[in-house]
Amino acid sequence: MKALIRFFYIPLAVVAAFLLCSSFLIKPKGKEKLAFPYQSQGLTDREAAMQLLSRFTFGPKPGDVDRVVKMGLEKWFQQQLEANLPDDSLNQVLSNYDAINRSNAEVAAEFPKGASVLRMAIKEGYIDKDSVNKGDKKEYREKLTAYMKMKGLKPQRELYRQFFNQKILRAAYSNNQLQEVMTDFWFNHFNVSITKNNCAQYIPAYERDVIRPNSLKHFDDLLLATAKSPAMLFYLDNFSSTGTNTNFENTHREAVRKKIEANLPPEAQKKLNLANKAQGLNENYAREVMELHTLGVDGGYTQSDVTQAARVLTGWTIYPFDEHGPGAAYKKVIDRIGEDKLAERGFVHDGDFMFAPNRHDNGEKVVLGKRFPANGGYQEGVDLLEMLAHHPSTAKFISKEIATRFVSDNPPQSLIAKMTKTFLDKDGDIKAVLITMVNAPEFWSKDALREKTKSPFELAMSAVRALNATIYQPYQLYTWIDKMGQKMYFYQAPTGFPDRGQYWINTGSLLNRMNFGLALASNRIPGVKIDLAALNNHHEPESSGAALQTYAKIIMPERDLFASMKRLTPLLNDPTLMDKVDQAASKSAPKTSQMEENKDSMMLAEASEAPNKSIGMGSKSKNKQNSFGDNTMLAQVVGVIIGSPEFQRR
Amino acid sequence: MTSRRGFLKAGGLALFGIGLGGVPTFVAKAAEMVKAPGLFQRRKTLVCIFQRGAMDGLMAVTPFNDEYLKVARPTLFMSAAKGSSNKPLIDLDGRFGLHPSMSAFESVFRDGRLAIVHGIGSPNNSRSHFDAQDYMESGTPFNKGTASGWLNRAVGLLGHDAATPFQAVSLTSSLPRSFYGDEPALAINNLQDFTLSMRGNPMAANMAAKSFEELYDQTSSDLLKETGKESFEATKMLKQIDVKNYKPANNAQYPNSSVGNALKQIAQLIKSDVGLEVAFAESGGWDTHFNQGTENGIFARNVNDLSESIMAFWTDLGTYQDDVTLMTMTEFGRTVHQNGTGGTDHGRASCNFILGNDVFGGKVHGLVDALANENLEDGRDLKVTTDFRSVFSEVADRHLNIHKDNILFPDWKGNHIGMMRG
Repeated sequence: MKALIRFFYIPLAVVAAFLLCSSFLIKPKGKEKLAFPYQSQGLTDREAAMQLLSRFTFGPKPGDVDRVVKMGLEKWFQQQLEANLPDDSLNQVLSNYDAINRSNAEVAAEFPKGASVLRMAIKEGYIDKDSVNKGDKKEYREKLTAYMKMKGLKPQRELYRQFFNQKILRAAYSNNQLQEVMTDFWFNHFNVSITKNNCAQYIPAYERDVIRPNSLKHFDDLLLATAKSPAMLFYLDNFSSTGTNTNFENTHREAVRKKIEANLPPEAQKKLNLANKAQGLNENYAREVMELHTLGVDGGYTQSDVTQAARVLTGWTIYPFDEHGPGAAYKKVIDRIGEDKLAERGFVHDGDFMFAPNRHDNGEKVVLGKRFPANGGYQEGVDLLEMLAHHPSTAKFISKEIATRFVSDNPPQSLIAKMTKTFLDKDGDIKAVLITMVNAPEFWSKDALREKTKSPFELAMSAVRALNATIYQPYQLYTWIDKMGQKMYFYQAPTGFPDRGQYWINTGSLLNRMNFGLALASNRIPGVKIDLAALNNHHEPESSGAALQTYAKIIMPERDLFASMKRLTPLLNDPTLMDKVDQAASKSAPKTSQMEENKDSMMLAEASEAPNKSIGMGSKSKNKQNSFGDNTMLAQVVGVIIGSPEFQRR
Repeated sequence: MTSRRGFLKAGGLALFGIGLGGVPTFVAKAAEMVKAPGLFQRRKTLVCIFQRGAMDGLMAVTPFNDEYLKVARPTLFMSAAKGSSNKPLIDLDGRFGLHPSMSAFESVFRDGRLAIVHGIGSPNNSRSHFDAQDYMESGTPFNKGTASGWLNRAVGLLGHDAATPFQAVSLTSSLPRSFYGDEPALAINNLQDFTLSMRGNPMAANMAAKSFEELYDQTSSDLLKETGKESFEATKMLKQIDVKNYKPANNAQYPNSSVGNALKQIAQLIKSDVGLEVAFAESGGWDTHFNQGTENGIFARNVNDLSESIMAFWTDLGTYQDDVTLMTMTEFGRTVHQNGTGGTDHGRASCNFILGNDVFGGKVHGLVDALANENLEDGRDLKVTTDFRSVFSEVADRHLNIHKDNILFPDWKGNHIGMMRG
């Protein structure tokens, strides 16, 4: 009888499972037609092209507006959505960075944490345990450096430097700009931070393998990929969250423990039970996945939903790929028993992710009214994330965040509603949501033009692009961006950088934006070279007023800047001004500039792992600076344009 | 969000003139500004230092008679007994010992100007750095959604409009969470950088400054316009101060560290009478999971840097000491037991230091039980016996005359512990 039931039920279950899965697996294609209603909002083709470029690229390069108009706005956008334009020259530059393609396991092996290095060195008897932090520090440090060299180990800062550099180079040079913008957007949405020590080294792979490839696909895939990534598992502590699985309790050790506990007085038993329960569960990820990644803080969940969701996600952890890292002991157990055998008991190994059923709370849970029956294993976590990804609150929350990024700090409700509907209808298809947004008149409304304040990163990238700069040392830009108030990848909280002009514009940072403009325009950022004359086909403007007009047009196309620039003209047209400036320049104490020059070279040496080489670059760029730097008037005009309030907006 | 409340409501702007150069001196013009309340009038200043990473309060100020601690920290426990080591703890009161690398603090403690609160922490038991820092800086340990920081609210409660862009200044590169909110606050990493610079060409820099001022004055974005105004006013004010050639008074020797440099600049601002009332600085490196050391090592270096910096600041202040109270804070403490790598992990309560002439110093305030397991929180950590808001509120109350606890720390109803005089 039993066998018979099984005979009938198995195919049924398979069919049901297939139907259920297919609704997730076969995604409706986002084949919405693109038709931009900008004319109805009173925009010209060129103005509309500028709006498009200001929203979906890191800023237009000279001539971009013309190119987009010629190609057709819709066609350009479609091309960006497909994100498959060749990027040969970028890839050529990136090929100099060997660390950015490493797997997590390779990173862990090649760029171990300082503490792991020390442990290894002590273990191998290379460093005496008692000499740590004692005696001659220099000698000790040298010993450690020598040990690392011998072992082929590299300092982590080298990994991060390459990682920061690639971000800047991609933003500056990629032809698939929308993909880079979306990668930036989703990284910030699913923020992880280098300030959290145990997740830091997995962040390069996180951006590369988890965020970028999913940045224009379906939201649920992106969510699941982040949930299973080592960076996120460490960052929000889920790797350590454990529950009790009653199916795994019949081991000898458990039996002994039970026996001991059974003999405790009832009061102590109660306490112990409470303690055991509290000890294993970590709600950090479960809370943030609802509050920040999906539903939003007002998305309609309770503290109980958080706790229950945390129980669902117990046992979601990292596959022990790092022989010195946490969980290394686990690897031995896995190898001894064998993954095939473990899989029979619900164990899942997927890349760097592992589901450890013995650490999974196998009881029944209820989240947002949905019942997760006992013994749901790995799949119930997937089901939970799917439920969250498709929740109406999520559709609204994500739509609002996208509209905030691409339209204005306070996007119109009508637009959010349209995008939310598409999100729900199209199974969280990110492309479809973007298409709905650009097909909406709200996107082209005059209220939306230039309504966003550039983040320091966006400011630096848009300036570099507008001036056709050549970047030899991207890290110099990283430090400037930091100085302007955005230490990329170091934002500590899971919220990510706030996407609000108010956050970026504070008194200290604003001056640094102006200084950045002046420094960039006068070729005083080492390792970033611009040729202002070439931007205007080597036609020298006749006066500073003419320079202002000409270069403002090149750098900020499709803006009516006449009014705002008018007040500058008398200032710039002071006939004695040139002389004054030149005089001041030649009078400037060479001592001071020499000193500051040296300071820069030192900074450079610090910033680079190869001090000799970069000092060489430093002195070279010094010569260049003299030849370019002397043209102070043009440099100053362009610097003022880059630092102007209009250029802070997009 | 509404735009920030602007400073200089009383029209103090005119004081500085618009152009660069030929800016009238403060003193001459200040006489004309009787109507502008508080412009350059000497006011009280509160200086806060956030020790990010969670300081081990039990090593900074050790209950050295505690037998449990001795057992829990076989290699980290330090003794106050003379001859027990080259550098024994500094016995403060027969029960608590100050880490020897903080010997700079001994004199002000004995003088009754330095108070210590032990067992201080948050009622929220999060052991996550970002949660705990966020809660401490927002001042609402159970509410993550609080938009403003407690120090920004404090500025709003000072009871007079800001007459200067330097009312609230953080010596950090971005605005700390404590300063978020409606009141204007400056973030300046380095006063010397707080100027428009064209290297080797001051004339061009002046030109650029003037151009920027024109442009920012007429932009249609209120945010950029207002912030631009704040920036230019601040730079002009700073021009009156010889930032580059600052010489600390009374032979004060600041360590060349980030917190040392920050405090040096705060002293400079205070002594320049620019109207500074709330200042903020940071000190890092307290997350000592690994080999924290005892009389030498990471921890010793950190507390040495911190205490030497604070004492240099105090010495430098000279006659301004009466106006200034300084308070340290850290997001939580560290485990009573040392871990397997010669360090300590995230715990609960820590201690903090408050220095000032209105402080009830010379005493270790707060409550620290014997560190027996049953007295520990979750069987591992020093219990929080004093809510940080109780101390912050008392300092704000006594030093800055701020009494509205319901605004400063909404959802807190507690008592002060009497660590301030009066």
